[in-house]
Amino acid sequence: MNFDLTDEQQMIVDTTRKFVESEIVPAEEHLDPDAGSLEPHDFERLVTKTKEMGFYGLDIPAEYGGPGLDTTTRALMAIEMSQHRAGLYNPCYGVFGGAGLAQLYEATDAQKERWLYPTLRGEKKGCFALTEPSGGSDPARAIQTKGYKDGTEWVLNGSKLYISGADKADYALLFARTSDDPGRNGVTAFIVDTDSPGFFVRRVVHTLRATHYATELQFEDLRIPEDQILGEVNGGFAIANDRLSRQRIPYAAGCIGPAIKAQAMSIEWAKSRETFGSLLAEKQAIQWMLVDNEIDIRHARYCVLEAAQKADKGLRFRTEAAMAKLVATEAAGRVVDRCMQIHGGIGVTKDLPLERWYRELRIRRVGEGPSEVQKLIMARDIIGGSFK
Amino acid sequence: MKVVVCVKQIPDPALPGELNPTTNLLKRDGKLILDESDSYGVEMALQLVEAAGGGEVSLVSMAPNNEMSGLRTALAMGADDAILVSDENLAGTDALGTAKVLAAAIRRLSPDLILAGVESSDGYTGTVPEMVAGVLDLPSVTFAKQISIDGDTVKVQRQTEAGYDDVECKLPVLLSVTAGVVEPRYPSFKGIMAAKKKPVEALDLQGLGIDLNTVGLVGARQETIRVTEAEERESGEIIVDDGDAHQRIAEFLGELKVI
Repeated sequence: MNFDLTDEQQMIVDTTRKFVESEIVPAEEHLDPDAGSLEPHDFERLVTKTKEMGFYGLDIPAEYGGPGLDTTTRALMAIEMSQHRAGLYNPCYGVFGGAGLAQLYEATDAQKERWLYPTLRGEKKGCFALTEPSGGSDPARAIQTKGYKDGTEWVLNGSKLYISGADKADYALLFARTSDDPGRNGVTAFIVDTDSPGFFVRRVVHTLRATHYATELQFEDLRIPEDQILGEVNGGFAIANDRLSRQRIPYAAGCIGPAIKAQAMSIEWAKSRETFGSLLAEKQAIQWMLVDNEIDIRHARYCVLEAAQKADKGLRFRTEAAMAKLVATEAAGRVVDRCMQIHGGIGVTKDLPLERWYRELRIRRVGEGPSEVQKLIMARDIIGGSFK
Repeated sequence: MKVVVCVKQIPDPALPGELNPTTNLLKRDGKLILDESDSYGVEMALQLVEAAGGGEVSLVSMAPNNEMSGLRTALAMGADDAILVSDENLAGTDALGTAKVLAAAIRRLSPDLILAGVESSDGYTGTVPEMVAGVLDLPSVTFAKQISIDGDTVKVQRQTEAGYDDVECKLPVLLSVTAGVVEPRYPSFKGIMAAKKKPVEALDLQGLGIDLNTVGLVGARQETIRVTEAEERESGEIIVDDGDAHQRIAEFLGELKVI
């Protein structure tokens, strides 16, 4: 593996870093410590800039008008974009634009016209409705929402849980069991407008993220025309798996940014804070914490870059992506935890971003497949699928 | 219209700098970045060329080890091409020697307008732009905060302590541009991907026809004889408002000639 950046990658990293330091951090300073969005005028101003820079819609493939970044460059940007208070879950507060649901790139032309393109233009929002009260780690088996065909329509009944943004979404990508197969071969993906009769947002579910919540959905005789099936009947689970695995890499990279920032803050603090007649930086207990942080950060970075480079080379990267996700989420959690310890009292206050990163990083070990599922994925690859 | 911008590539100010203990000069052997004070000149040049409906923005830089990271940033912002002068005999060159080198490079381009930052963010002599104009025997206008071109005349608002002077001057001319007058654009994605393909002419002293004895430590007439630690900043005065705080603050600002 070659971890040297190309000249272009280095320039993109430098540009992103400067953008975060010069635009995002100053705009964030006067916001509530738990803010999830910028002031509207700042958001508009910065979106104009990212569009002028040609960096808007980072995850949109080149054939759909995006910059067409490779996975490595995208991961490097994710490391930079998350280096501010809200950066873990709101990197740069979204001023680099979204890409819509990855699965919609596999949609029919008519479906793309109706949902994908308006999403890319920022006119529509979608949500991803997979997890159910019966579980999220093994969704193929856990899905109990049932669909049956009635004439040219499908009728769905069931519920979903921990669905982000459903109350503000215009449409949902919804997975339901449509055959007797208890596993992944019995699941169909539907695209449903959220104002359809029978689609209900039952409640808001609060999480460790102060400004963000998930929702619980319920479907009662929700009727969906046949042409709103994404892909094949009973083939919903296989859709866009490659794109999803790729997205796991910037997801992991995004955890490294707060860890890097927390470490930099801690080094500064240790070099200026005096206790018992000497600086914290002179105490071995603190030095070892800083060294452990550095090891964690570099380990995570190497894992993320290895996965990204394999993805870019067209090599199999499932194990590497799972390892990157596991290592980065857990390492970043440990780093921020140690940094709070180094900072002492002020570390747990909302005067510093550490407490927000600490809370939110805990979710990362569960979201997008918990650590244990990542190990399961790796075990299948290492030992062999027959032992699953 | 052809505009040349003098750009300096400097060690990253965010990293701790190191001095050569023998020469007392800043070590420049690592990666160099575009001096932010020069990014204003690059932006101004791009805007002037856009306003003129076309033209060319060329960069001129002098740096050790053929370092061009900072030049690439300016090219990614939109500059068209560059001349990079690099020669081991240039180590230790003073302000006048630098001006001779930049002037020789600029002369090859025959520009209508030359822009430079008022001063670099590492050396801070603030003299190189005017020396370049002197070597080239061109007029120069310092501290330009607004520039417009009208035919063969440049109109400049020149920043002063009291406000600004309106200055007009025939082209070609050298202008030093104050920081903050324009907002330097970020390099665009397309600009970054294209920067490496833009022409950069690499020259040494021989290629420029410069006598080795007039530059470098040998030719330097300026020497840094001593470096001392900056004094620690003293704590400020706290004014408690007994009803006259506004007067005392106004007096304080008056002493600083801020108001």
